[in-house]
Amino acid sequence: MKLLRMIGVGALLHTKQLSRSPFEIATALIVPVVQATLAVYLFRAGGEPGRLLEAAVGAGLMGVWSSVLFGSGGAIQNQRWQGTLEMIMLAPRPPALMILPITLATAVTGTYAMLATLLWGRLLYGVPLDFAHPLLFLLAVPGCVLGLGMFGLLLAATFVLMRNANALTNTLEYPIWLVSGMLVPLTVLPGWTGPIAAALPTTWGARAVHEAASGGPVWPSLGICLAISLGCLITGALMMTYVERRARAAATLALA
Amino acid sequence: MTALFRLIGTGGVIAYRALFNWTTPAMFIGSLLVGPIFQLLFFAYLGRQLGVADDRFYIVGNAVLAASLSCVFGGTMAVANERRFGTLGHVLLSPRSRTAVFLGRVLPYAGNGLLIAVSTLTVGSLLLGLRMPPDALPALLATLAVASLSCGFFGLTLGALGLRFRDVWVVSNVSVALLLLLTGVNVPAAGLPGWMRAVGQALPITHAAAAARQLVAGKGFAAAAPALAAEVAVGFGYALLAATLLKLFEAESRRRASLDTM
Repeated sequence: MKLLRMIGVGALLHTKQLSRSPFEIATALIVPVVQATLAVYLFRAGGEPGRLLEAAVGAGLMGVWSSVLFGSGGAIQNQRWQGTLEMIMLAPRPPALMILPITLATAVTGTYAMLATLLWGRLLYGVPLDFAHPLLFLLAVPGCVLGLGMFGLLLAATFVLMRNANALTNTLEYPIWLVSGMLVPLTVLPGWTGPIAAALPTTWGARAVHEAASGGPVWPSLGICLAISLGCLITGALMMTYVERRARAAATLALA
Repeated sequence: MTALFRLIGTGGVIAYRALFNWTTPAMFIGSLLVGPIFQLLFFAYLGRQLGVADDRFYIVGNAVLAASLSCVFGGTMAVANERRFGTLGHVLLSPRSRTAVFLGRVLPYAGNGLLIAVSTLTVGSLLLGLRMPPDALPALLATLAVASLSCGFFGLTLGALGLRFRDVWVVSNVSVALLLLLTGVNVPAAGLPGWMRAVGQALPITHAAAAARQLVAGKGFAAAAPALAAEVAVGFGYALLAATLLKLFEAESRRRASLDTM
């Protein structure tokens, strides 16, 4: 219980901190709304006005992924720049438990994008919020956010090992949007992308949210998303422990 | 006059080299060369699925748009990073024309933009199987160059705002997202409301993308010339606006003693 409390309080603290950044908020709210507008006009131009809810939900999911990718990928570096990395690593807890609340917070901040695109769709374009499973949608979104937050820990641990992590961060936004079927159905992609998509928690999380919105069995997708994410969490925690020990031994914790 | 060109050319190149103080070749390739190709594929597959337009529409449009990434952020960095790294005061103390200094900064970024657009067009065409008439290539290259310059001056205009406002990166991020929507690169202009089309006419990329599409369709330079001329006019307009804003905000920041305020 103490562990869950620590993760919960930590996630809340970092969510509050991220929510005070005008840059984070403007990016989390405005950019997804622009992308959702683009999606709506594309769906309309394609003669698919009945799928506007799918467009709004898809654009929101894209915003969640962007938040996790840039926030979690840079979690360690951001703490280093703020001068708080040493204090976090000094805490008498495994390092992964100290970083997990940060990556969860980036996913929670990403839900601002989902809220913004849904509200924008309803208020400006009259998109009916007729969710096939309204209650399951309210479960699927936090489930997807939790999954992506755990996946974020693996990103944070991987990126801290890579000298040119920023290059990967900037490059990974569109491929994951594409391969995870957030807006483009997986059926139109080449067959070889299938196994990659199946291994990503983003694919199953997006699928669960889309199924809750448009109809389909939500639980299996959500379960697979959380199972893969748990695997990512364990791998990320092991990597984080290794990275922390190596950085302590080499006295490079504070060095970029 | 030679000294002025030297200031613009050499100054721009030195400032560009300074960029590699913090970036790396891997970051450059990953962010600027690989990223736009995935963006192109994303919209091409979305367009295919919705049946909005053919691959040529998305390949050409997104290749032209790819130039905007380095140009808009580069133009913004040209001014905003001087403040961030504490060198803005030194630049503004220079007895030479600051307008020339900053306009010179745009040239390497525009060169970058051209490189990115050519690379995106080449890879996109190879991956999705687009054939272009060979005789259209010189005019297409000129179109991409004009688009890059136009975007660079647009970026510099945003950068000039960095002399007045602190969060200029929010403006750049939102502007790049708006270019996706308003330039008709991914949604055919006919599918956008009138006011969005009107705003798009005043933005870089819109006319260059239209000109490039005419060229790739094999309609010849004569058909593309009006759109290309419009893009030149838009670029010139932003160069003028950037120069005016830089002068205005420099004077204001001296008066308010807010040069290095972060």
